[in-house]
Amino acid sequence: MPCDELPDDLMIPWKEAGMNGQVFSPNQLRAQAEKMRAKRRRGYLVSGVVCSTMVATYALIIINFHIFHNMLMLIGSGLSLVGFCYLLIATLIKRSRALPDLVETDGLRFYRTELERKRDGIRWVAWSLPLIWVPVFLVDLGLTQWLLKTSAFLAGANLSLAVVCLVFVGAWVPVRNTRMARKYQERIDALDSALPSAGGTDPRG
Amino acid sequence: MDRTESQDELYQKVVQEYGEALARMVCAYEVDPELRRELSQEVHLALWRSLSKFNGRCSLRTWIYRVAHNVATSHVVRQARGKSVGTFLTLEEAEAQAGLEDVEHSANRAQALSRMFALIQQLDLLDRQVIMAYLEGLDAESIAEITGLSAANVWSKIHRIKTMLVRRFHRGDRNAV
Repeated sequence: MPCDELPDDLMIPWKEAGMNGQVFSPNQLRAQAEKMRAKRRRGYLVSGVVCSTMVATYALIIINFHIFHNMLMLIGSGLSLVGFCYLLIATLIKRSRALPDLVETDGLRFYRTELERKRDGIRWVAWSLPLIWVPVFLVDLGLTQWLLKTSAFLAGANLSLAVVCLVFVGAWVPVRNTRMARKYQERIDALDSALPSAGGTDPRG
Repeated sequence: MDRTESQDELYQKVVQEYGEALARMVCAYEVDPELRRELSQEVHLALWRSLSKFNGRCSLRTWIYRVAHNVATSHVVRQARGKSVGTFLTLEEAEAQAGLEDVEHSANRAQALSRMFALIQQLDLLDRQVIMAYLEGLDAESIAEITGLSAANVWSKIHRIKTMLVRRFHRGDRNAV
């Protein structure tokens, strides 16, 4: 089916626009691909170190229970360890999921998949942060109890910081992210309702 | 000729033939100059990578536009926050807005052209793909193959977006005279 034509005076300026595009040689692209691989490896390394440090810290708290003698810290540390392990496994599973193929996937399905991925990512952050921070808050409460024995000021400062973190990460982030995820869902629904045959499958039926 | 060599040669052929179209596409997807450079690099990198798998099952043109539009889609969705994804206009919203903006005037043709880019950047990603492919001179069947819409749906979208663009563009043109 031929398209009816836009007037030439609209097609011509369109063709004139964007003439100064960047030019890349295959070697530049090869170098860029290598740079990106290195960056990804660095990212994995940093995440690994951060996760290991956190896990080691809470494990040490449990191991050195006899120093603090505080049940809140013990329970909080145990739950934090469980939370971290769960998040680590969930992250690995998420990463192993195949991305849509750039060539095989048409624009509609690719767009829908990208919106779903973004929505799921936002939801995941909303629920995974409290999973860690609520137990961490318990640890902090225990630490506050322990600090009270030595310095009321330090205990107060520690508790204030913990409450701020808990409100931010445990309440504000989930509420904000849930709202954001809803916007993505609305966009997906709009896409589906505009194209009844789409529904995540081949839109051409 | 080994695989890498043929991939490089094919890429160079693609850049020669479609480089300008890709640059226009990047401009219509991304307004920020820094992010535009980033997107341009992403598109070229993905194209170069994909060409090692090119098997001739579809035309080279369809292959290139699919890869480029999908990379751009990924980029826009990644950059968007929940708020901005909600501000992409559906065709109905864009048409309504075009009506409200009747009182605005463009000073000259260049300004009208930049308004055309601005309008395209406001559209939902699928509508952007359709109109950009159309402006590049692709027919409805090819656009349908790239986007996954039916040819009839493509036809209808083109008609509606085109009407909006022509109205805005000519308004700018008349005011320049």
